[in-house]
Amino acid sequence: MPTKILVVDDEPDLELMISQKFRKQVRDKELLFEFVKSGVEALRKLQEGPDMDVVLTDINMPEMDGLTLLAKLNEQYPLIKSVIVSAYGDMSNIRTALNRGAFDFVTKPIDFNDLEITLKKTIQEATTFRQAVRDRDQLVAIQQELEVARKIQQSIVPRKFPPFPERKEFEIHAEMIPARDVGGDFYDFFLIDDERLGFVIGDVSGKGVPAALFMAVSKTLLKATALKGGPPEECLQQVNRILYLESVSAMFVTIFYGILNTRTGEINYCNGGHNPPYILRRNGQIETAETTGGLVLGAMKNTAYKAKKISLQSGEGIYLFTDGVTEAMDRNNDQFTEARLEENLKGWPGTPLPDFVRNVIEEVKTFSNGARQADDITILALKYLG
Amino acid sequence: MEIIQTKHGGLLILNLNGRLDAHTSKTFEDRLMPLIDEGNKKILVDFSQLDYISSAGLRVLLLAARKLSEANGKIALCSLKAPIKTVFDIAGFSSVFAIFNTPEAAITDLMK
Repeated sequence: MPTKILVVDDEPDLELMISQKFRKQVRDKELLFEFVKSGVEALRKLQEGPDMDVVLTDINMPEMDGLTLLAKLNEQYPLIKSVIVSAYGDMSNIRTALNRGAFDFVTKPIDFNDLEITLKKTIQEATTFRQAVRDRDQLVAIQQELEVARKIQQSIVPRKFPPFPERKEFEIHAEMIPARDVGGDFYDFFLIDDERLGFVIGDVSGKGVPAALFMAVSKTLLKATALKGGPPEECLQQVNRILYLESVSAMFVTIFYGILNTRTGEINYCNGGHNPPYILRRNGQIETAETTGGLVLGAMKNTAYKAKKISLQSGEGIYLFTDGVTEAMDRNNDQFTEARLEENLKGWPGTPLPDFVRNVIEEVKTFSNGARQADDITILALKYLG
Repeated sequence: MEIIQTKHGGLLILNLNGRLDAHTSKTFEDRLMPLIDEGNKKILVDFSQLDYISSAGLRVLLLAARKLSEANGKIALCSLKAPIKTVFDIAGFSSVFAIFNTPEAAITDLMK
């Protein structure tokens, strides 16, 4: 597309001279000139088609002079760059024009080589300016899309609490706070059958959109596999095989998957590289769930997993979290740490589960003291009440 | 994070200094991958000056291991500080990577 230049001058010879001087550029469709005789005509022209890049205007004209035109251009068409033509030595008008937003000036009698250089410079400025505006608009659009992505992501993890109000043998609550618009953490829970509740927490390596995509795949795959009812180690093994094929640039995900028998309080679990959860005992003591030695998922093609068991008495629970909690940093880059988390978990009996989860998140926020959240924060707490 | 690169016979040694987190792992990846593409087949990553590693850092190491294994190459790690070793243990990476207490032990293994 040619660069469009509007020439505003009441003297007819300028049109002729410009047409001659820039003949080649016009023929090659690099430049397109339009000519009008006053400021009023110029504004009318711009109203018809505002896609002008540069305005070259004389100062002294009938109807509306160049300085008045400049003020109006600045106000109504901020993307258009203007160059004024003034009498040699007319510093006061040149000064006024520059103050009103003119980009540059040429003096009469016009030196056409100088005009060419000036126009070239002005066009460059106009193009850069337009590009910057386009970039900004694009960024705004991306930001809006990310906001949509964030809503979608938040809606693919269960958010209705309590999720199974008719079930009195257990209570569950979870929160997920991504560090950016979208994140790589997730949690999930689902009834496999009448007496087995599956629960999951996961953390994808990395952050942002790539992690969010991998998170969505991981979460969906795991639930689909788990609902077939197999034991946790088999489930992770299958999910790992598929994720390995999906894993671009060696992306991987840590997954802790447990199945609570809602009749007996026994948890059968398998840990694929995730931080070990805490077991919350009735007397307020906390224990770390024994590791099962499993590798993160998606890293190696064939990985074997092992499961372990935990027995919960009525009133006891399990507390799953991602490292966004323990590795949250304050302004001195000091971490929240497991020790602080454990301290916060001690008073757990007696606290309603949702508060118990939110309190820790509040504690982490207080600790960070305004430092930017570097990693996604996710917590899932499950209490057995059978 | 600082990466100091030395050659030891046919062996490439990378000394990591500082933190390998979501931010710096990109730097590490951009440095390491071309070195593998250039044909370096035996790589030792010395962790003695590294204070922190995140999952993003583990991903770069895994990517390097995969690339090297396709090229019949080898990667070894040495001198992991205790908190970093814990991260490797939890993620199950301790059984995937060849990890040594000293650079000498790692070099001996890589030269085999």
